[in-house]
Amino acid sequence: MTPEELTQMRDQTRQKKSDCKHCVNVCTAAGCLSLRSDQLKDAIDKAVHHAGRQDEVTVKSVGCMGLCSGGPLVSVESGDDEVMYHDVKPEDAGELVQSLDTEPVKRLQCPSDMPFFTQQTKIVLENSGKIDPELLEDYIANDGYAALTKALTEMSPEDVIKEVQTSGLRGRGGGGYPTGLKWSTVAKSPGQKKYVICNADEGDPGAFMDRSVLESDPHRVLEGMALAAYAVGADAGYIYVRAEYPLAIARLKRAIRQAERAGLLGAHIGGSTFRFMIELRLGAGAFVCGEETALIASVEGKRGQPRPRPPYPAQRGLWGCPTLINNVETFANIAPIVRNGGDWFASIGTEKAKGTKVFALAGKINNTGLIEVPMGISLREIVENIGGGVPDGKQFKAVQTGGPSGGCIPIDHLDMPVEYDTLKQLGSIMGSGGMIIMDETSNMVDVARYFMEFCMSESCGKCVPCRVGTWQMHELLTKIIAGEAAPKDLDLLKELCEVVQNTSLCGLGMTSPNPVLSTLRYFEHEYLERLNTNGHGATAEAASTEGA
Amino acid sequence: MAWIVKDSAGTEVDRRPEAYLTDALKKRFETDILVRYPTRRAALLPICHEMQHEIGYLPGQVLEEIAEFLGLSSAEVIDTVTFYEEFHLKPKGKYLIQICRSIACHLCGYKELSEKVQKKLDILPGETTEDGKYTLQELECLGACDFAPMALIDEKLHGHLDWEKLEKAIDELPD
Repeated sequence: MTPEELTQMRDQTRQKKSDCKHCVNVCTAAGCLSLRSDQLKDAIDKAVHHAGRQDEVTVKSVGCMGLCSGGPLVSVESGDDEVMYHDVKPEDAGELVQSLDTEPVKRLQCPSDMPFFTQQTKIVLENSGKIDPELLEDYIANDGYAALTKALTEMSPEDVIKEVQTSGLRGRGGGGYPTGLKWSTVAKSPGQKKYVICNADEGDPGAFMDRSVLESDPHRVLEGMALAAYAVGADAGYIYVRAEYPLAIARLKRAIRQAERAGLLGAHIGGSTFRFMIELRLGAGAFVCGEETALIASVEGKRGQPRPRPPYPAQRGLWGCPTLINNVETFANIAPIVRNGGDWFASIGTEKAKGTKVFALAGKINNTGLIEVPMGISLREIVENIGGGVPDGKQFKAVQTGGPSGGCIPIDHLDMPVEYDTLKQLGSIMGSGGMIIMDETSNMVDVARYFMEFCMSESCGKCVPCRVGTWQMHELLTKIIAGEAAPKDLDLLKELCEVVQNTSLCGLGMTSPNPVLSTLRYFEHEYLERLNTNGHGATAEAASTEGA
Repeated sequence: MAWIVKDSAGTEVDRRPEAYLTDALKKRFETDILVRYPTRRAALLPICHEMQHEIGYLPGQVLEEIAEFLGLSSAEVIDTVTFYEEFHLKPKGKYLIQICRSIACHLCGYKELSEKVQKKLDILPGETTEDGKYTLQELECLGACDFAPMALIDEKLHGHLDWEKLEKAIDELPD
């Protein structure tokens, strides 16, 4: 597809949309789909046909609209107006279609001033819930592949890297490494053959950002990868995606096929000399494969075990070649950066953290779902306004970020801005974006043990500190919860945390003590209450009374 | 896996006369998968996914056939395949009961549910009932945290579970 053909398709699709009086968007991402939103879409389709209005009303399957707790979600676009509906059932279809030219259906309508919608800034999710993820032309109508065309016709690979550097984008997978710097390292590394890998092995408990992006806007990730390949000089790419995400896999496969047919992937992309192929690789239920060197081993067909770095994948990665690995959300930011310029991106967020971050809200919070907010927003804003607070009149206790590598942040620090460095100071990490909200009934030692159990079972077993350390820490935590631990066990636990942190081979082991350390830092009394101080096998209850 | 760990040289593999990896499949894998990689080994996991999809699990014989096809030793294939939880070396039951054990479900009491299923069916997670009807699994986050605790039963999502609902869903599965 030449740049002219792309523009033509964009304009045609836009025209078609503006010719339509109303556009009814039905969410068919995994969450709403599990509530049978496919049947809802059929019902609305039927109602439109029944009313004989199929020429002026389009019914479309779209990706995630974010407010998953209100699913199935429907939005109706009429010119510039948009009305959002929650908890829509197939039997509401007739009423919805009848209301199109009159007043919205009040009982199903989400208030338009709801902070959940008004407080968000969307870059990564700009098309989520707006376009049909299975239609290439829908993505193109929203400026899709415009950035790739611009790069191929107007920019050198160095220009693309410079733009990414100017943007200040940092890796969204958890580490926060400057993306532009990583790209320039791969570009500079000598070698005829280079690879680009998209890490979609999202495994943190409670995290579903990447799944949602892949299900809602797969072409955005492909375009980001193609731009990266052009910038670093790669001609082959892999997307390593969890096998547990069947819908994301199906949509990615379709998107790759569409892009290949349209000449936006493959040889002579956009009529240029640039070639780039993308291959989908399925994981097989190993969390450690999210670690970049383990992921590379897995693509090579080996056990997904990490190896020591350096050499970093940017120098020697897949089959010994320089390899760029970024996560889904990082790639999803690239097209807008190239399209609008690095300065535009850098104007959003804070001094040290630019742009936005997507978070998955789960746990004891009213509005569970997916949000995208500017960096630097306070945790309070997220939990109380956007998230709508804790349900059932309970008291907020802590928010867990960063999954098994992160920590719990208590109520006293709710006003801290969400940034890589501040979260680190608080003993947690930004992580990939899972946010689990806990209320007063949550037992923090139990939370710590949960994450330790997770690390223990996901440890690949290659290095001793992680293989044995996580097991021993889990034993100690279990002992504490049973009320059978002595004060010296707590000291041992702290010591083990330090050893495992300092001596493990990869990130999984090194960060596995974080949930223990952060709960010890803010909720040590919950540990102390459970210690058996008399040494005569007191029960948990007795120990806790003594503690009080 | 037990059969290779106990006595890798002398262990009997259940065999059938005809090959799982037919010539037609080999041809398809050559053109669809192997051409895309610089090494044959890189095709190991994609081929295992395909064969598991075909057979339902990965019997010993198929692992040997894959090893021969890719020019690897059987030990290398076993070593790699057993690393990944999603590859099953034993047949699964007719129905899969998959209970999410991730943090949101954990906070909402998945453990009690899992234990009750274990007791009811007299199997541990990962095991299959003697009649081959049910396989129980505990698995990681399915990204449906707002329905916690949740389970996939015969690939259908059941959310906001309590024991009554879960037992009913299991009992309602036809023979």
